[in-house]
Amino acid sequence: MGLRLAIGVALGVAALAATPARAQATLSPEEARTLEYGKEVFKTKATCQYCHKWDASGDQGYGGNALSLRKTQLTPEQMAEVVKCGRPGTGMPYHDRFAYTDKRCYGMTRDDLGKDMPPAGNEFLQAREIDAVVKYLFAKAVGRGASTYEECVGFWGSDTRECEPMRDAK
Amino acid sequence: MRKVSLVAILSSLLVATALTPARAGDMTFERALSADKEPQNWLLHHGNFAGHRFSALNEINADNVKNLRLVYSVALGGFESGGRYKFGNLEGTPIVEDGVIYVTDGWGSVYAIDGTNGRRGGIKWKMDPGTDRAWAGDVACCGVNNRGVALWKDKVISVTLDGRLIATNKATGEMVWERKVADPALGETLTMAPLVVRDIAIVGAAGGEFGIRGYVDGTDLNTGKQVWRTFTIPGAGEPGNDTWKDGKERWKHGGGSVWETATYDADSDTFYQGVGNAGPDWDPEYRPGDNKWAASVLALSPSDGKIKWGYQYTPNDPYDFDEISEHPLVNAKINGEDRKLVVHAARNGFFYALDRVNGSFVAGKQYVDELNWTPGLDPKTGRPLAYDPGKDVQVYAPGSHSMRGSAASHTCPSHFGGKNWEPTAYNPQLGVLYIPSIEGCNALETVEQKDFVDQGGTIKPRERFSGGGQKTTTRLYGSLKAVDPATGEIKAALRLDYPNYSGALATGGNLVFLGHADGEFTAYDAKTLKPAWSFNVGTGINAPAVSFAVNGKQYIAVLAGSRQSPFVVGLAPELKNTSTASMLFVFAL
Repeated sequence: MGLRLAIGVALGVAALAATPARAQATLSPEEARTLEYGKEVFKTKATCQYCHKWDASGDQGYGGNALSLRKTQLTPEQMAEVVKCGRPGTGMPYHDRFAYTDKRCYGMTRDDLGKDMPPAGNEFLQAREIDAVVKYLFAKAVGRGASTYEECVGFWGSDTRECEPMRDAK
Repeated sequence: MRKVSLVAILSSLLVATALTPARAGDMTFERALSADKEPQNWLLHHGNFAGHRFSALNEINADNVKNLRLVYSVALGGFESGGRYKFGNLEGTPIVEDGVIYVTDGWGSVYAIDGTNGRRGGIKWKMDPGTDRAWAGDVACCGVNNRGVALWKDKVISVTLDGRLIATNKATGEMVWERKVADPALGETLTMAPLVVRDIAIVGAAGGEFGIRGYVDGTDLNTGKQVWRTFTIPGAGEPGNDTWKDGKERWKHGGGSVWETATYDADSDTFYQGVGNAGPDWDPEYRPGDNKWAASVLALSPSDGKIKWGYQYTPNDPYDFDEISEHPLVNAKINGEDRKLVVHAARNGFFYALDRVNGSFVAGKQYVDELNWTPGLDPKTGRPLAYDPGKDVQVYAPGSHSMRGSAASHTCPSHFGGKNWEPTAYNPQLGVLYIPSIEGCNALETVEQKDFVDQGGTIKPRERFSGGGQKTTTRLYGSLKAVDPATGEIKAALRLDYPNYSGALATGGNLVFLGHADGEFTAYDAKTLKPAWSFNVGTGINAPAVSFAVNGKQYIAVLAGSRQSPFVVGLAPELKNTSTASMLFVFAL
């Protein structure tokens, strides 16, 4: 419990300035490509959306009680650490293949964590993938209010009925 | 001239009862009723209407199974991502007729595979229904699933995740018609193999985690039109509606999904449909009352969908003890009396035997290793002993489930079961039922459920409606248990390394076949449960096997390669690098 509290405090503090999403127009081609790459990790490769929902607003159910990333107070660095290391004591999985084999995550190993060891993600991610998914989330989700129809079409494309309820609700 | 006379002769042989006449080789109700007389074929989802998953073929037996070998495999599709999922699952039971094997992938494509030459499975045709993957995959609770097809006359009947029932020409693979049954706009999906009784296809909607009101639905296959729909959650004025005591009409989003194929008794013209959990899953305070007919079995008439009786396993279920799985029909002598039973290895960890004529409780017994939610069942009624008829919101064994404001639970068996959807198999020659199960415990955390928009709240259709979440941090395992279906007495038990999500096949060769998450496909001795043969297919298995014969030679077929549960693989480091595939494997001596 003390351990979990300590990690929680470490993750929860800071976040001094919310990082406002930069306008699409100012993105270099490379930055835009990184966001697409990060979206692919979020949507398909690591399937973050299974638990956090497509708009990263958090969800319940079989994926557990997953937090809203739209409302998160984490800094990009902290979010990258959570993706890499998971959240001990919760269902948030780690995505660094070598997490807890040494002290790279919160200074702890699998033995230190014991029962609080988080599960492994469906896929492990390389550093550049973690960097991209965090950039994607800060560009498209963090600090934003409720998701919009336009965001939905941006995520799923227009060849599905997925976003119709949001359009109809407008 | 010759052509005309042939047609005339054929026509005279037919009983013209329907718009589409049956032709030689067509699937008829008579053949379905006596599926056991065609052991060379696997004509029905559960092998026979009684749900036995038993093949009388005995060329492959306990003595020679060590010589069983892979004779061919077929690569399938269904890898496409969609909605919350990276690719489709493979949970289907193949249907086999005259050496042609009909299978589905998770996105609902149907494959007709020609297995007649015994050394190569050629895909005769593939019917891709063009499922809207994002639309349907975003409201599939647990994966992109399709559990197989049914045969009817000269058609193959199947479903799609996005809610359609489809009739396909068996010879050509051409889609003949489709009917929208379930609506993903409401969080409804279709994943089960249809049950066809006479000319009616019976399916039900999944979506118990998305605030649906569950139902069973009958389609007239001659017209492609609905003939009836029976909601599993009774509406205002219907019997059982008074078990929803919230006073806010929450039965309208009360769950009770249906996603596995029922069993059918022709003697009484009744089908036995397992019904899923109440919604929201883990906030029972949201829905005071017993919440009928969630977590129940219903006995229904296939002609009109009328409910004959119901039996509820876990009233006011706070666990997600969804009881959709199969309800085999077994006859047994109990206290000198011949009894017609419907039995069920429940997700709540108990085995039940009910009188299938009137739904009365006959026997119940714990079959899982660990069970902490009730000290047992009432020997007369089968009600959980921890059930308090004076309470609208049940508090079963304290700490075994979560409540608003309480800590995470320690729930045994875990909310996965017991036994989940993966089917049992029954060997009628030995009188033994084989239960493949999930053993171990996990944690549930209640979050107070918000109301739906149509009831003054904020939850929109297609949003999760689960009243909390689950947490599985301790590794689960599995078991195979051989049980006397009249009493639930365990005659033999075997511990498995992995929770079982594939289901069993029993054969006349005194074998039980079972696939595993690590790719092992194993034959067990039906009496001792000792492994008699095993082959590793190199990818996880989440589907039950079937047996059939071509030219007198027995084959065993199984689908393999499904996306594995993150709650299995995430806690089993040795499985971490297993890749998903999409394969049919066929074995013979």
